[in-house]
Amino acid sequence: MMRSAIFRRLGSIVLFPFASLVIHPFPGNGKSPLQKGKKKRAITTTTSPTSIQTRSHTSSSVNETEISHFSSLAASWWDPHGPSRPLHLMNPLRHDFIRSLSLASPGSSGPPSTYLDVGCGGGIFAESAARLPSTVKCTAIDPSSTILQIARQHAKKDPSLGPKLEYLNTSIERLSHPKVDVVTCFEVVEHVDYPSEFLDRLGEFVRPGGWLVMSTIARTWTSWVTTNLVAEDILRIVPKGTHDWNKYINEDELRGYFEQRPEKWGEVKVMGVVFVPGCGWKEVRGSEKLGNYFFGVRRVA
Amino acid sequence: MEALLRNRASFVCRGCTRQLRRQYSSAAPRQDIYDVVCVGGGPAGLSLLTALRANPVTSHLRAALVEAQDLSKIKSWSLPPNRYSNRCSSLTPASAQFLDQIGAWEHLARERIQGYQEMQVWDGVTGARIEFDWAGAAPATGSTIAYMTENLNLTSGLLKRLDELGGVSTFDKVRVEKISYGEETEDVDLREWPVVHISGGKRLAARLLVGADGANSPVRSFAGIEARGWDYDRHGIVATLELEGEGWGGAHTKIAYQRFLPTGPVAMLPMPGNYATLVWSTTPTNAALLKSLAPKELVSMINAAFRLPITDLEFMHTQQSGQEDEYLWRMQHTPVDHKAVPQLVTGVQEGTVASFPLKLRHADTYTAERVALVGDAAHTVHPLAGQGLNQGQGDVQSLAKTIEYAVTHGQDIGVGMSLESYNSERYAANHVLIGVCDKLHKLYSVSNGPIVPLRSLGLSAVNALGPLKSFIMNQAAGNGIKVF
Repeated sequence: MMRSAIFRRLGSIVLFPFASLVIHPFPGNGKSPLQKGKKKRAITTTTSPTSIQTRSHTSSSVNETEISHFSSLAASWWDPHGPSRPLHLMNPLRHDFIRSLSLASPGSSGPPSTYLDVGCGGGIFAESAARLPSTVKCTAIDPSSTILQIARQHAKKDPSLGPKLEYLNTSIERLSHPKVDVVTCFEVVEHVDYPSEFLDRLGEFVRPGGWLVMSTIARTWTSWVTTNLVAEDILRIVPKGTHDWNKYINEDELRGYFEQRPEKWGEVKVMGVVFVPGCGWKEVRGSEKLGNYFFGVRRVA
Repeated sequence: MEALLRNRASFVCRGCTRQLRRQYSSAAPRQDIYDVVCVGGGPAGLSLLTALRANPVTSHLRAALVEAQDLSKIKSWSLPPNRYSNRCSSLTPASAQFLDQIGAWEHLARERIQGYQEMQVWDGVTGARIEFDWAGAAPATGSTIAYMTENLNLTSGLLKRLDELGGVSTFDKVRVEKISYGEETEDVDLREWPVVHISGGKRLAARLLVGADGANSPVRSFAGIEARGWDYDRHGIVATLELEGEGWGGAHTKIAYQRFLPTGPVAMLPMPGNYATLVWSTTPTNAALLKSLAPKELVSMINAAFRLPITDLEFMHTQQSGQEDEYLWRMQHTPVDHKAVPQLVTGVQEGTVASFPLKLRHADTYTAERVALVGDAAHTVHPLAGQGLNQGQGDVQSLAKTIEYAVTHGQDIGVGMSLESYNSERYAANHVLIGVCDKLHKLYSVSNGPIVPLRSLGLSAVNALGPLKSFIMNQAAGNGIKVF
């Protein structure tokens, strides 16, 4: 009971063939409006009849079960030795990835100064982005008020954050906000029912020349074997139905989505990362095809 | 201070500092918020602040220094060229390079620093010898094993560099009255922030509190970190010596000498010209006797310590006076290869004979939430390898790097998670060195029994094996720290 509770909170920890791990920090709720078992995931839009039907129940891109699930993580969110440790360890790599993007931008005017973090949770990334000396403003949104309460409480511990960091309890659909240099959305897209619409909406907040940055997990045989078969059915360390492997999105699917919209989106950058127990996260070239990866795409207009 | 706050882009935002001021001005004494509060203005603390100020990535951090002594006196420290302070340290090329990198090296009085290129180490009981010189072993960094530097020369140079960089709020000639935790108000929650209360009523709230406050570190006690270890029941005697010449190798090949006696090692380390510094570890009784002797008797005891057999030395320690005559008489009957021992000591500079108890201490950890320990606050080591100050410099270099990483990755530089890499990097490295120095001390404290011929065999074997010798020299020069 104890173990499964921990694993549910941690999300799926998945034994990788090379004794390293694929981590899905936030488990899904097990329900998907999409076709289960289909090999290729089309990034659907709300034009599909079933999607429209489901969508009428909620005005948010993330459904209520997911929100309540993440709210239950709140208490331990900032415990560096608690279940969120892999997320804390991953955070510096997010900055390394974003730095690599701003360096790569043609005509880059230095590091980003404005951020919008979508699905900020307890604020691990949002706080760190606001704390960077180059940051002027970081807005962070999350649909869970319980988690935002934790985020706000924690931000009080650092007086330097006050004017630079703003938390808003809202969904991306309801948000009204000026365009920013970087929109971030970490470990979220795999929980979204309508990725196409969600990505379109995220894109509206990126200024031309800015970047949309995401991280997620690939839908591969390794992630299926480790998160679904081994963790749920064989070892039973994770409650059945924790993972919705069908919602995972592959790097080439994301890439394809943006390549179809060349009037809005330009260059794409990807970085695969692997969790090595005892060492933390390491960049491994090509591993975006296997498990966790960062994805950045530049807005051209 | 107000001007400082207005003018500098700062990690702690101006708005919140103002807010805090308002809240505290009416009820409680004024509280200033800093990113780094360093307690202790010795070599470790000053190097850390200099490193942070010299690096453009960390120079925006608001830093404060708290020190009991009058720092302006230390900054303006100077001695005539024929006088040397008795507290000297052996700086490895790695430490010197770090000091150069942070811009401090050029502020030291360089003509008072003496590099040495050779080490002569031998066993006082058996005479087994090991000679370290770069001629026989492949040099890793130039030809200098280490640089003998007066501690005051170092701290004075660091203070001058820090002055040049500016921006550190310095509180000297003050006592730390208490360290407590901050409070929660409507806007900020400083319940996990250490607040240093200094004499005069000032309070400094610290995002990161650095304990560079020596072996009895109040910061370490505040953090509840134990320092474990033992006392050696030995005292280290220091003195500035005048020699008959500038050494057997002349001005360009200076030699450090160390002889292991059953009571502890006696070392003579070269200073510029005809000067040298003495570090003699011995029993508290012997130390008391040596300190009580007239200068000419002490000179003879020091010359004897590098030349006469153990039994002769033991006898001379029982005499209340008359060591000079005893030494001269015994030397007539003792064959000595003069080139294998230091040149004769001709005098001891007045007022330079002092002693201090030798201890081994190692803190259980170097970090706690919003606390980091550096230098002697984290570890005290036997001086026989001359590594104490270098370990502190290694700590500072690592902590500055850790803070730089935290700043560039948006981490709060005070939280335990940001400090993890400092602790893991330095704890293991220091632990090995502390252990090696301790074992060497114990190994050479034995004057009879089966271990004596074995250790001599070991020393002779090391002497015959080039690669091993070069490994040991690289360790002493601080080049090999990465192997740990």
